[in-house]
Amino acid sequence: MNRKDPISPKWAKNFLQWFLRDDLKEEVLGDLEEKFQHKLGKGPLFAAKLHYWYQVFQYLRPFAIKKYRSSSIHIIMYKHNFKITYRNFFRYKSSFFINLSSLSIGLTCAILIVLWARDELSIDKFHENDQRLFQVMHNFETPSGTVTLEWTPGVLAEALEAEFPEVKQGVPVMPPATYTFNGVIKTNDTRSRGKAKFAGSDFFQIFSYGLKAGKEEHVLQDKNAVVISDELAVNLFNSTSNAVGQTLSWKQGEFTGDYYVSGVFTKMPANATLQFDVVFGYDLYKSKHPELEDWSYNSPSTYLLLEDGAQEQAFSSKIADLTRKNDPNAEGTLFLRKYSDQHLYGSYKNGVSSGGRITYVGLFLVTAVFILLIACANFMNLSTARASRRFKEIGVKKAIGAKRSTLAIQHLGESLILSSLSLVTAIVIISLLLPTFNQLTGKELTFSLAADLIFPLLGITFLTGLIAGSYPALYLPGLKPVKILKGNVVTSLSALWIRKGLVVFQFVVSVVFILLVVVVYQQMEYIQSKPLGYQKDNVIYLDAEGRQGDSHRTFLQEIRKVPGVVNASAMRGDIMNGDHNSTSGVVWEGRQTEVEIKFSDLVVDYDFFITMGIEVTQGRAFSEKFSTEMDKIMFNEKAIETMGLVNPVGQVVRLWGQEKEIIGVVKDFHFESLYEEVKPCFFRMSDKHLNPLVKIQAGQERETLARLQDLYKAQNDGIALEYHFLDSAYEHLYFSEQRAATLSRYFAGIAIIISCLGLFGLAAFTAERRLKEIGIRKILGAGNFRIVALLTADFTKMVLVAILVALPASYFIAQNWLENFAFKIDLQWWFFAGAGALALIIAWLTVGAQTVKAANVNPVDCLKDE
Amino acid sequence: MKETRLGEFEEVILLLVGILGDEAYAFKLSEEFESQTKRSVSIGAVHSTLNRLSEKGFLTSEMGGASPERGGRRKRIYKITALGERILSEARDFRVSLWSQYPGFAGG
Repeated sequence: MNRKDPISPKWAKNFLQWFLRDDLKEEVLGDLEEKFQHKLGKGPLFAAKLHYWYQVFQYLRPFAIKKYRSSSIHIIMYKHNFKITYRNFFRYKSSFFINLSSLSIGLTCAILIVLWARDELSIDKFHENDQRLFQVMHNFETPSGTVTLEWTPGVLAEALEAEFPEVKQGVPVMPPATYTFNGVIKTNDTRSRGKAKFAGSDFFQIFSYGLKAGKEEHVLQDKNAVVISDELAVNLFNSTSNAVGQTLSWKQGEFTGDYYVSGVFTKMPANATLQFDVVFGYDLYKSKHPELEDWSYNSPSTYLLLEDGAQEQAFSSKIADLTRKNDPNAEGTLFLRKYSDQHLYGSYKNGVSSGGRITYVGLFLVTAVFILLIACANFMNLSTARASRRFKEIGVKKAIGAKRSTLAIQHLGESLILSSLSLVTAIVIISLLLPTFNQLTGKELTFSLAADLIFPLLGITFLTGLIAGSYPALYLPGLKPVKILKGNVVTSLSALWIRKGLVVFQFVVSVVFILLVVVVYQQMEYIQSKPLGYQKDNVIYLDAEGRQGDSHRTFLQEIRKVPGVVNASAMRGDIMNGDHNSTSGVVWEGRQTEVEIKFSDLVVDYDFFITMGIEVTQGRAFSEKFSTEMDKIMFNEKAIETMGLVNPVGQVVRLWGQEKEIIGVVKDFHFESLYEEVKPCFFRMSDKHLNPLVKIQAGQERETLARLQDLYKAQNDGIALEYHFLDSAYEHLYFSEQRAATLSRYFAGIAIIISCLGLFGLAAFTAERRLKEIGIRKILGAGNFRIVALLTADFTKMVLVAILVALPASYFIAQNWLENFAFKIDLQWWFFAGAGALALIIAWLTVGAQTVKAANVNPVDCLKDE
Repeated sequence: MKETRLGEFEEVILLLVGILGDEAYAFKLSEEFESQTKRSVSIGAVHSTLNRLSEKGFLTSEMGGASPERGGRRKRIYKITALGERILSEARDFRVSLWSQYPGFAGG
């Protein structure tokens, strides 16, 4: 036939030929072809093809289908293989149990990690336009390297949208990054707290926060409008449907006032990076902050929705120097980051993305793979070690004529059956463990056998079965039948090596895990106990909200009078993790202009240093005794050192053009996380937007807090005081590290357990194989101890080799992890010695029971029959 | 013992084999069936019936010629056997006798 003619569907034809009786093929294919051509004459090709399929299915009739006589032998073979597998499982219960438990534990671990990783990877991707959502990031050059911030000029979004065709829509959002303005919301009869963002009017068009009421393009256009979350709507108005049009009063600094609800959005998932319940218009914010019109003033985050097909890289380089073009005073380089990358790729080093949580995702996935491999190694080891028990079976089968591939398939089948059984066990374990795992990881994972999960699961299981069965399936069928049946199989050297290699591999992984656990634990301890330069015990801090945002001074006065309060002060942002601005706008005499120094800007109130226990080394601290404290400034030692000032007290510097007198210098303390060095910083006074800090007498926490609570409630219409203890908040700062530490401890434990299960099985087997040798040795006068030493020596050697391999590897990994911290522990020799010794001891204990049992055997029992 | 009664579909197919003569093969039969009865039928269903009728001995078949629209494949041509013809005429006689006993229709 001519090729150009439309041809009948190939797959349908193949399918037909697959099931159709051979003698019918010619006539049926002919008839269907004729029908097809006939159909073609009347309608479109597609219809003809579809009809062909219909005709093919109509041939699925008993008279036309092949008789599968030839297949019956396969079925018999499969039945036989199943039976053999089943019998083997039951005959060698200990091997079966060891294999099943190690594979199930391995699979459980792997599946849990996959669940966790899937969740991590899905965070922030719920927005419909995810692929085109970007955030503009800002790199600043400082002497200590490039700093990457989410702070951008307030006019940026508008300018980008107007000047660049790539940008479909852009919005500024205040406050930047994950910060929110916290306020108190009142309606006639209810009150609540709220976290607020001020966003450009396209906000709800760019992001998919699913408006339940209101139109995306209108809700933020009015300065008096507010969009609230459905959760809040239910709290305030009992329903989402009648919230629109209602009025609520918002208390938060300069934005205190009445607003009407213009829309209701769906509360974002708990794991979304940005969390807020109230959204005001950005214009409202700008009306009170004219400095946002300035290209050199960086504050809001800028989010963009690019046009379809816009080139991210090209666009990113196009806007790089946009701020400097618009304002010679501006500094910094702009670039784009995908919106949904903020969770996993949140860290920057010298202006370049250096990963972030993705590192943990990667690490855990690698861990999962290794734990599975350890479990697979157990199966390989035990099934090859115990192969001698099946030599006869293999020999007879080969003698009869079984092909090598048939036997290989049989052994692979065995491991696949085992891995499937393990999967079932693992699923049961997971459904029991999931709540605990969720608690450990702080997630809300669910486990259901949905289609998108079942294929990865089956895939992992299949792969595990394949890897586990690969070596036995290659090794066992390769044995020579004559030798096997004669009974003189000498285990080949290579097989022995591989078996030993597998044990070594298992212990390498275990030792690495042990060491990492030790290092992570030590580092965490170090961070938690490192003197930070301030006293974090018994200090509580309150969020600036409602009236406290404005007039914290009077509030502080009252607090100081409360019995049990040692002292009280206030600061902007928070002392622990760098939630503050930084500036290079400090000018002093002798400043070398070519080096730009960024100073962190810490805004504090009277008594700050006393309350926090920070030592003032030169001069004095801000004090109420002096009236002109607003014109004064203080520095930390690091700043003075960087500026190169001698006798700083009394000197005058210019901050943003205003003269300020240095009144004091304080000792360096850590106002950022320990990932960072202590940076130069200055302190200035303000009475606006400060968060109160209260130092409480040790031992009187409960009574004092109750008194503070009463005081606060009396002043705030009965709203409860929300406070945090600084020390527990500090622990929270390293939460993800703590979690990683906890999880790695479990994983290490599991790796060791699985390795030991394998070692245990192997030891039992060796002891059994060498029973006669032991008997003879004992008759010739060997003592129990010698026998134990003899049997243990082999395993000891393997574990020692493993330790030798593992130590450099773990040193490398640990060093790499510690690199992230500016303040870190030194790796001590005893970490390594300890990890090695622990692995050895665990191995000995595992092997011990078996060898001692073997050594105590009565020679008569094992030598009496041959 | 083989079933010798004819079903309605079998009877029609058998008759069509007689009508089509040398062109009586599965595809043509199904086309003819569709055009005569205005009911659609798959080639497989026709083929299955042809097969059954052959087993009962009402039909014989032999491979016929090929044609290009069949992709050069030959077709199986069916022919009514003597037994087939007898069974057809028995079926017709049976019907006629039934009709003749139907009083309401006697006039026609």
